[in-house]
Amino acid sequence: MRIVFCGVGAIGSTAAVLCRNLEATLVFIDFDRVESKNLRAQAFVKPSVGKNKAEALKLQLLNLYGVKAEAFGVRMTRDNVAALGASADLLVDCFDNQESRLLLSAFARAAGKPLVHGALAADGTFGLVRWDERFVPDAEDTPGQATCEGGEHLPLIGQLGATLARTVQDFVKHGVRRDTLVGLVAVTPTVS
Amino acid sequence: MTTLNITYNGLSTDVPLERETLLTDADVRRIAVELLAPAQTDSFQHYVVDRFRAPGGEERIYLRPKVPFGA
Repeated sequence: MRIVFCGVGAIGSTAAVLCRNLEATLVFIDFDRVESKNLRAQAFVKPSVGKNKAEALKLQLLNLYGVKAEAFGVRMTRDNVAALGASADLLVDCFDNQESRLLLSAFARAAGKPLVHGALAADGTFGLVRWDERFVPDAEDTPGQATCEGGEHLPLIGQLGATLARTVQDFVKHGVRRDTLVGLVAVTPTVS
Repeated sequence: MTTLNITYNGLSTDVPLERETLLTDADVRRIAVELLAPAQTDSFQHYVVDRFRAPGGEERIYLRPKVPFGA
């Protein structure tokens, strides 16, 4: 079983750490590098600052937990999405931009790969976990809206990451594809 | 009976709706404005309307903030 996390920022890194109990190889794709500010809301540690995020998370999971992990420190593009996703048994979309989400969705639909999306509202008050068969990307109000890089929304990020990890685990163990709404006061399943 | 769930400013609530016709997205936003009476009537302009069928057959409508990307 290969679970491919596409984007390992706040949502992806948090969810991936909570999948460390699975009998699976966790694969991380992210071109970005760890910055000091990322330590507040993302599952990276201080020695990883400056390293590629995918590579850093792979090393952390390997060294701290003995988890089988692989890393691809590249940006997912039209040219490499098929190669990066070909061996995936499950794709997990934690990207921070709509273009990459749509690219991944198009690949998954064409290749018949299961894909689950995790996403957070810009103000940190609401999140969604939704399988690709029911996924319709929300439009951006303005290009380049503020994200949650400052770490001020960490509790909600934690709730969403945990919900996404639970969704991955339910799929791996039971084949269930559950969608969920995640708010500050409730985590609400909507489709099983 | 339909249940409308509104998530606004980090809080979420269920509102029972008795209705005879289909509600458009604009109807849902108008109802939310009437219920919550926020200072600005365009508060829900950029919100998304999701519709689900509960296991018991009940229709549930969710008015929620957008999630254009992750963090």
